[in-house]
Amino acid sequence: MFTTTTLPLLLGIVLALLARFALPPSSPALTVFWAVLLLFFYWDTLGPPVVPPVAASQKLIYLAFAGIVISLLPERVLGGRMGSLGAIVFAAAFLWLGWRRIAAGTLDLQMIAALAVGLLTLVGAPILTARQASQSPSMEEPFLTPAAVLALSLSGAIVSVLGASIVTGQLLGSVAALIGGWCLVHYVAVLRGGVAASWSKGLEFLLLYAAATVLIQVALLAPKANPAALILSSLPPIAAVLVRGPLQNQLPGARPLRPLVAGILIAVPAMLAIVTAIVWAPHGAALGFS
Amino acid sequence: MRTRNLIAALAFAGASMLESAAYADNYEIDGQHAWVTFTIKHGIYGIAHGQFDSVKGAITLDKADFTKSSVKAELEVASVHTAFDQRDSDLKGPDFFNAAEFPTISFESTKVEKVDDKTGKVTGNLTISGVTKEVTLDVKLLNEAQAPWDATLTKAAFSATGKVSTADFPMAKAANGFGLGPEVVIAIDLEAVKK
Repeated sequence: MFTTTTLPLLLGIVLALLARFALPPSSPALTVFWAVLLLFFYWDTLGPPVVPPVAASQKLIYLAFAGIVISLLPERVLGGRMGSLGAIVFAAAFLWLGWRRIAAGTLDLQMIAALAVGLLTLVGAPILTARQASQSPSMEEPFLTPAAVLALSLSGAIVSVLGASIVTGQLLGSVAALIGGWCLVHYVAVLRGGVAASWSKGLEFLLLYAAATVLIQVALLAPKANPAALILSSLPPIAAVLVRGPLQNQLPGARPLRPLVAGILIAVPAMLAIVTAIVWAPHGAALGFS
Repeated sequence: MRTRNLIAALAFAGASMLESAAYADNYEIDGQHAWVTFTIKHGIYGIAHGQFDSVKGAITLDKADFTKSSVKAELEVASVHTAFDQRDSDLKGPDFFNAAEFPTISFESTKVEKVDDKTGKVTGNLTISGVTKEVTLDVKLLNEAQAPWDATLTKAAFSATGKVSTADFPMAKAANGFGLGPEVVIAIDLEAVKK
């Protein structure tokens, strides 16, 4: 429990403080710190990398490595390619994780949900990371991607655990807690009249990609994961795109409230996912593992 | 002279094969009379019991030379049960047997050693979740007999026991002893129909 929630929350706070006081938020060093922490939690929950990876759970850490490599590419390289590169990398991750299920040719409800999750993350995450930063960013803008990853990870963790996949639930819980720590520090800064730091494009990609690939694995393999809850869990990146676009005018004018309301709007599908997973949990809302 | 020796050797080898084939009987595992069970430590407390209901496979039994016998079997992961639905779901999930990705567990013998007329050691490759490890089972031939009600039906019954560690396979939660694991004791009783 400590390494799944408390430790990542504290480390997320440390990263946020580093970004506020020691390093520029877009610094590659900050991305490296995130990457190292991410790998630590992958290792802690999934075990060390296995050569060659056979099961999908053994492939996740390799996908994380690939994400880290891409996230460390210079911004001028990523630049306008973020959308197409993201879509290709997401599609490749889905095919690699799910090829045994795809090869089996069974199109049951779980597989349909997995395909929907793969498609929605493949669309949502690249669009979110491909958007250009505003010339004069709004108060909520630095929170949009973190809120999307936080919502996706948190709901994914609960759906995963209730769906009989504890390990991926722990991993998503760790990612959610890391980002929760980051958001907490920056929101306190906003309340104190400051401005939140934005993630670099590479870091946005890395965390969206890491959380989404784990969610895809849950959708593919967790035997009791609720299909509707899985699909809802994959929607926060798309909700974040909407909050930055058509829903932006719906946000309140009060400065400190804008990030909060934006976060809630982004989290609506995730909240629905959690409720769905709990209400229709196959064994009640008790944790698995008995 | 050399040709004559070669012919003699081939003739001897052929005769040996014929002799061996004469003693080797083929059996098909009778899924309705197969109990593939296991026990596994449950957390810091007791021992959990489980069973796979769906078993199929073939046995070749050479009574003249046990070492020429072989066995090949396959279990359906989705058929695992432990007398509690929620635990069964966990076992079928990606933290344990990972049924969606690897629907079967297989065993194929590579070596059979005779201990005495009724017992032997069967070593083979056990594949769980795509990972293959060598396992040795202590096997006992319990009986072979014609069915009293059907002269065309002959069955043999076997008992086997062995141990595996979940740490050898990609079973994250069993391997670290969280809830269930890591040591698993296997106990198999099955009947096989002579073909």
